[in-house]
Amino acid sequence: MANIVMKNMVKQYDKAETIRNVSLEIENGEFVVFVGPSGCGKSTLLRMIAGLESISGGELYIDDQLMNHRAPSERGVAMVFQSYALYPHLNVAENMGFGLKMNGVDKQEIARRVTIAAKTLQMESLLDRKPKDMSGGQRQRVAIGRAIVRNPKVFLFDEPLSNLDAELRVEMRLQIAKLHHELGNTMVYVTHDQVEAMTLADKIVVLRSGQIEQIGSPLTLYHAPANLFVAGFIGSPKMNFLEGRFRSYQQGKATIELADGQLITLPARDIGLAAASPVTIGIRPEHIALTGDSSHFRIRFQSEVVERLGNATYLFGNSLGTSGFKIHIAGDRSVKLYEDLDLVIHTADCHLFDPQGIAFGIREVPAGDALS
Amino acid sequence: MTQSLQPPRLRLQQFLMYGFLLLSALLSLFPFLWMVISSTNTTADINQGKFTIGSALLENIHKFATLVDLPLVFWNTAKIALLATGLTLLIASLAGYGFEVFRSRLRERVYQLLLLTMMIPFAALMIPLFTMMAKAGLLNTHWAVILPAIASVYIIFYFRQCTKAFPRELLDAARVDGVSEWKIFLFVYFPVMRSTYAAAFIITFMANWNNFLWPLIVLQSTEMKTINLVLSSLASAYFPDFGVVMVGTILATLPTVIVFFAMQKQFVQGMLGSVK
Repeated sequence: MANIVMKNMVKQYDKAETIRNVSLEIENGEFVVFVGPSGCGKSTLLRMIAGLESISGGELYIDDQLMNHRAPSERGVAMVFQSYALYPHLNVAENMGFGLKMNGVDKQEIARRVTIAAKTLQMESLLDRKPKDMSGGQRQRVAIGRAIVRNPKVFLFDEPLSNLDAELRVEMRLQIAKLHHELGNTMVYVTHDQVEAMTLADKIVVLRSGQIEQIGSPLTLYHAPANLFVAGFIGSPKMNFLEGRFRSYQQGKATIELADGQLITLPARDIGLAAASPVTIGIRPEHIALTGDSSHFRIRFQSEVVERLGNATYLFGNSLGTSGFKIHIAGDRSVKLYEDLDLVIHTADCHLFDPQGIAFGIREVPAGDALS
Repeated sequence: MTQSLQPPRLRLQQFLMYGFLLLSALLSLFPFLWMVISSTNTTADINQGKFTIGSALLENIHKFATLVDLPLVFWNTAKIALLATGLTLLIASLAGYGFEVFRSRLRERVYQLLLLTMMIPFAALMIPLFTMMAKAGLLNTHWAVILPAIASVYIIFYFRQCTKAFPRELLDAARVDGVSEWKIFLFVYFPVMRSTYAAAFIITFMANWNNFLWPLIVLQSTEMKTINLVLSSLASAYFPDFGVVMVGTILATLPTVIVFFAMQKQFVQGMLGSVK
């Protein structure tokens, strides 16, 4: 087990900066997920930790030792790749023991470690098979097994489930969660899938364009996103955003005028906004109802697309001049196309963002959840 | 779709295509057929254009064995071909791998310069090469044939192109596993790229086995000569015995035919750029 500390890490390709002043601390035994859209630098950052990419600036510490110029094999890390990266000419046992063999480890020791890893991952019957004779899930388990035999301080996962089908992804996600629980190693996991991030992580790092947008627990990011980007990235379907105007601030609450002239009051920080400043109100699709009491406010909605999944109903349409407005209703509801509906929203479920897209609403995070 | 259900136009197209392919196959095979039939005939019969199996095969073989020290000539040719091929594959694969995996601006410039040298015809290189071999004291030795052959830019280019299809994650995985770069090349790259090596082996072996002009220039004594030089001298005699020459040609062609057919599958895989 080891901690990882990144101080102002920078990665430059020619004159383009792909990682910009990233500072982050990962505690011993923590499961941290780097999440973000394609091209945000999450894999680059992971590869910098692994030593597969050089560090253009800043410092990287693993287990309190500076690693900037150390070879990958000297960092105490093991990596699981998106494409499994299994040696096609070797069978499972040979794949898992390859690194140890190349480094002169005793044959018996290799066999012992391979056996333990195979048992952990329930792969004893696969040891003689070649990668081409295995399914995607099996190959991924071999890749994880190859990482386990090295007894690393840190496990690095680079989108390991991306190439698997939906059902297998769920199964492997559980395996990885179980592995973390059993081994307790520090794990850094890269994914663009927020469901993986939300279910696996102790801490999520949301990246965009090489910079950290927010670091926090899954529920912190869900309930209190720091800006429009994080708010829109976390949660599926994506959060709805409505335009509004700031009117006044009083006793810890901001009064916002919606596009239909309605005034709503939301708990917020006083950031010195001028009256009539444009603000954005965020509402998650699952926090919108069709019925409510007087503590809620109402907005008009016209449905354009209805998706009935049996256990849930999704409505897509227009509201207050915003197209692409989404609603998630539990259970099966029959809604006609182009039907006008009154949507009911509780102010406690609203998010508030200033003209620069920074959250200034005061949001509650569920008790017992670590907020950072 | 069965033959009878195909529209007439499609059937005509197929007929023309197969007809063309058959004709091409016959044209390609004809020289071999001629060679085999001629090896069974006397010179007189060959000059008269006889295209049927004769009865002079044993006589021609006996004459060839008498005129040519077959074991020595085959040994010379095989030694040159195998050494040149082995060294070419070693150097070209390392170079191609290096150019593709360890990229830098300087290396790209060097690579481009190497590619430019492919445009220089061999005729322009002969004299400076001859001078080099003479100064090195290598004339009339097999190394004079082998050394110029191993610097094959075409094979470097071929390996570099094939390395583009090599999965980079394997290199990353090996590096994280603590495997040194040399061991990565030997124990990861080489086994995965076997079909590429096989295709390169066939191309290079055939080129070296069939090499004629340069050995003709640098190999002067009889005991150094290769099978192609020996056949050439037999064919250019005052009264050439073509039946004997054909026997020699069959024997000279056999190794390359055997190598090609033995490694045909790998050759196709290698040329298609398929990685294991």
